[in-house]
Amino acid sequence: MRRKSIKISKDLLTLALVAGLYTVLAFLLYRGSLSRQASNMLIPVSVYVVMAVSLNLVVGLLGELSLGHAGFMSVGLFSGCLVSIALAERLPDPVRIPLSMIVGGLVAAVFGFVVGLPALRLRGDYLAIVTLACCEIIKSMITNLKLTGGARGLNIGPAYRDARALLPYAVVLVLLTILVMMNLKKSKQGRAIMAIRDNRIAAESVGINVTYYKLAVFILAAFFAGAAGTLYGHCFANVKATSFDYNLSIEILVIVVLGGMGSIGGSVFAAILLRVLPEMLRGFQNARMLIYAVVLILVMLATGNPTLKAFFDRFRPARLKKKLSEAILARKAKADPPQEGGAA
Amino acid sequence: MTIFLRTLISGLNLGSIYALIALGYSMVYGIAKMLNFAHGDIIMIGAYTGIVAVMTMNFPPLIAILTSILVCSLLGMLIETLAYKPLRQAPSLSVLITAIGVSYLLQNLALLIFGSEQKAYPTLGAFPGFTVLGVKVDGMTVLTLTVTAVIMIGLTLFINLSRMGKAMRAVSEDRGAAELMGISVNRTILITFAIGSALAAVASTFYGMTYVYIKPTTGSMPGIKAFTAAVFGGIGSLPGAMLGGILLGLIEQFAKAYISTLWSDAIVFGVLVLVLIVRPSGLLGKKRAEKV
Amino acid sequence: MKKTAILILAASLIFSLCACGSSGSSTENNAKTTHGDKELYIGGIGPTTGAYANYGLSVQHGAEVAVKEINETGGIGGMTITFSMQDSQGDPEAAVSAYGKLLDWGMDVSIGTVLSGEMASVVNASANDDMFMITASASADACLEASKNAFRICFYDSYQGIAAADYVNQNLPGKAVSVFYQSDNDYSVGLYESFEARCKELGITFKTVQTFLKSDTDYTAQINALADSGAEIIFIPIYAEEASTFLTQAKNGTADAIFGENTYFFGADGLDGIMGKVSDPKDANNVLMLTPFAENSTDEKVKNFVSKYQAAYGSTPDQFAADGYDAIYVLKEVIEKAGYTASSQISGAKLSSTITTLSYKGVTGEMKWKENGNTDKGCTAIIYKDGAGSVFGE
Repeated sequence: MRRKSIKISKDLLTLALVAGLYTVLAFLLYRGSLSRQASNMLIPVSVYVVMAVSLNLVVGLLGELSLGHAGFMSVGLFSGCLVSIALAERLPDPVRIPLSMIVGGLVAAVFGFVVGLPALRLRGDYLAIVTLACCEIIKSMITNLKLTGGARGLNIGPAYRDARALLPYAVVLVLLTILVMMNLKKSKQGRAIMAIRDNRIAAESVGINVTYYKLAVFILAAFFAGAAGTLYGHCFANVKATSFDYNLSIEILVIVVLGGMGSIGGSVFAAILLRVLPEMLRGFQNARMLIYAVVLILVMLATGNPTLKAFFDRFRPARLKKKLSEAILARKAKADPPQEGGAA
Repeated sequence: MTIFLRTLISGLNLGSIYALIALGYSMVYGIAKMLNFAHGDIIMIGAYTGIVAVMTMNFPPLIAILTSILVCSLLGMLIETLAYKPLRQAPSLSVLITAIGVSYLLQNLALLIFGSEQKAYPTLGAFPGFTVLGVKVDGMTVLTLTVTAVIMIGLTLFINLSRMGKAMRAVSEDRGAAELMGISVNRTILITFAIGSALAAVASTFYGMTYVYIKPTTGSMPGIKAFTAAVFGGIGSLPGAMLGGILLGLIEQFAKAYISTLWSDAIVFGVLVLVLIVRPSGLLGKKRAEKV
Repeated sequence: MKKTAILILAASLIFSLCACGSSGSSTENNAKTTHGDKELYIGGIGPTTGAYANYGLSVQHGAEVAVKEINETGGIGGMTITFSMQDSQGDPEAAVSAYGKLLDWGMDVSIGTVLSGEMASVVNASANDDMFMITASASADACLEASKNAFRICFYDSYQGIAAADYVNQNLPGKAVSVFYQSDNDYSVGLYESFEARCKELGITFKTVQTFLKSDTDYTAQINALADSGAEIIFIPIYAEEASTFLTQAKNGTADAIFGENTYFFGADGLDGIMGKVSDPKDANNVLMLTPFAENSTDEKVKNFVSKYQAAYGSTPDQFAADGYDAIYVLKEVIEKAGYTASSQISGAKLSSTITTLSYKGVTGEMKWKENGNTDKGCTAIIYKDGAGSVFGE
């Protein structure tokens, strides 16, 4: 019983922590005491959190490797921002920004459906390369399109907003994404998706509709990526399709793997850690990306290697807590001897 | 006709480079069962080694190539020992991310050592070409194709006939069972990396002689193209890697010459997606029956 | 699962560090109190690592030469310069963070960013900061629009495209023109589009237009098409690095078709530094370019800059370096003309109104600024032959 109650509250704890973090940051930001570097990073980092959590749906929950998540972000960004720019004079922010985010999300969802189709037939690395290819095709299309400004990029112009204006929307989007992921994981649908991940054929044999769930996961993940992309576009003056290539997809994948497969909290905090780390390393000048690479490798080794893992486990709070509670229980057991037998 | 023929030749030229890189990729994948994302960057290191060997050390061409092969093999073994071996039991995605980390590391190391300015790869010799139906065929094209084919055949023979090759196939098939049979899995994989990286060094020589300019980021694009080629042909299959590489080069050049240079990338990837939908395990890849 | 706990700890620790970095300083009146009045903090942003690192490092090195010179001769209005170049990897997102970092550091004035995409984002973020910016090399037309306090040293793209078309019309009339440009690069596309529009007005038509992508390494297909077109002028509005690959492949690559002896490869300021890039100087024969900066000029200022740059960095400065050098000197001119002697008094708006009255001759030529931030400076056409550049037509 005790273990179960801890497990349920884990995602809730993440949600509460994120909400708490945002409260503190919002307080600092609106009071004007947040450093400029940090306030300039608020929105992009929030966007990466959403990207990572939604990719975790595909990689962690469904167990399919996708290298095309940046493509969905890009599609959502350009469609959402075009809508937002067109309506900039007509609608007030609180209507226009959520509306454009929904539009961006829906357009990305359509692409998610299209990219999800090959996923029905392909597996593993073959699917990875197809999603990468789709991402590159999307990049190529947007770069050749006049409507989106082509290679010179889309000028966001009238739709541009700073961190102070965008923070509320970022908070809502992040919390919403976490909430949806959390509920999905616990729901019947979520268990069906995880069953497909663990054994597709067995899942099919007990009547789970694999086609339906696979497509649904791709569509849902693309929707959130698209909405996040739209938000991302709003905080930059000019966005180019070439920024959203397979390298960005890989960066998001790194966040997901580092945070842990299927772990919402992991994705959230790995996103923050990995986006903030290069900024923290600015003091090292040109060696900073080198140090970033070394840190990345070391973290992967520390979490994946059994010997190192056991070593680091000793210092983990959960383990310490367990030891503590064990000690307390032991002491309790000593203090008052078992009464159950007597009662019965 | 002239346009067709010259596009065919330039496609073969580009494709043979992709094929050469894809061979190393595919071999490591087939045996170690991991995507070595740093393969492209080992090529970059190989190219820089060649430049230093010829320009600074004044080595003759053949010795320079051998130096480059030696350096890359050692580097490959070093990476395998330090970064991949400790993760043998970890999920494959963790290894993939580590490989990406190694790729970043090599690029930034090269940036610090050699600077961001491009360096020219030395000419290691003249390879006279000839003319077919009025179209020039470059000597390099013929040489690259020949070397790629020889390496492909040699590697296939090595894997199928030699004792070490047998061990490699065993490790690829079932790591646990191979270990029980007395095969040292770690040693086999280490040798796989040495050979794969040596292939990268050979590829770097041909890349350098054909495209001349080398930068710290030189490896990333050929790396991703070779990955694409390897998957196209059926990853893990050596003839598949060669076929995939050459087809990729041909599609790219024909798309540029006949359709549009603006859309060439989209066309290449589009064809790839279509082919994989029809043949989900690549052109020459093994189909595996799924079991419960 | 336990990973989460550690990540939470680490992330919140870092974020709080980041957040509290400059507690106490309010946002609008940025931290100008971090240093003394007799110190002037100049910030710059650009890619010093990653695929575009050569541009960022060139600007940084050029600027550092100027900073050293100025500090040795008494600084700007008695203030000693401290210069900080922040890496962006060519990513607008990192550029905006870097801009925040520089503000927290106490930046008084800025030489903006190296690339146009970064500049557009930084300018927007800075619109309310009263920060004066003069970018060395961000040339996209629209990238200064959002701020009244943003100016540039380099040409702007449409101006160069038009100047190139006019040049062809006046100096090389009647010759057939083909174009080779990079379709996923803003600079290249910007130049091509204005060149094409101007050519249409002048009645010049193109034999063929070929493009390439950043990911391309093999230009054989395009070279065949361009050489077959029979054009005597190939307009190549691309950067020196791609141009060197193109020229080397055109001259001794695997392409079947070859260019005629007298084909001009005509480009703009992006080609600058081409001699330092090609492996064989002969590859760049017949490269004709419009540039504001010629490294072998006899001008005293240029000679001094080139020799100091070579002594410090061991290579010949390209135009990006020259722009960086000029950017620092223009800051000196404008701050001194505005009469500032203490860094805490500096106002971006005042500097912006001062610069439009300024005329300055730097290593990249004579400059005057309009209110929109652009400068129209003259350019000369340089032609290369066997590794040496000379003014075309002389």
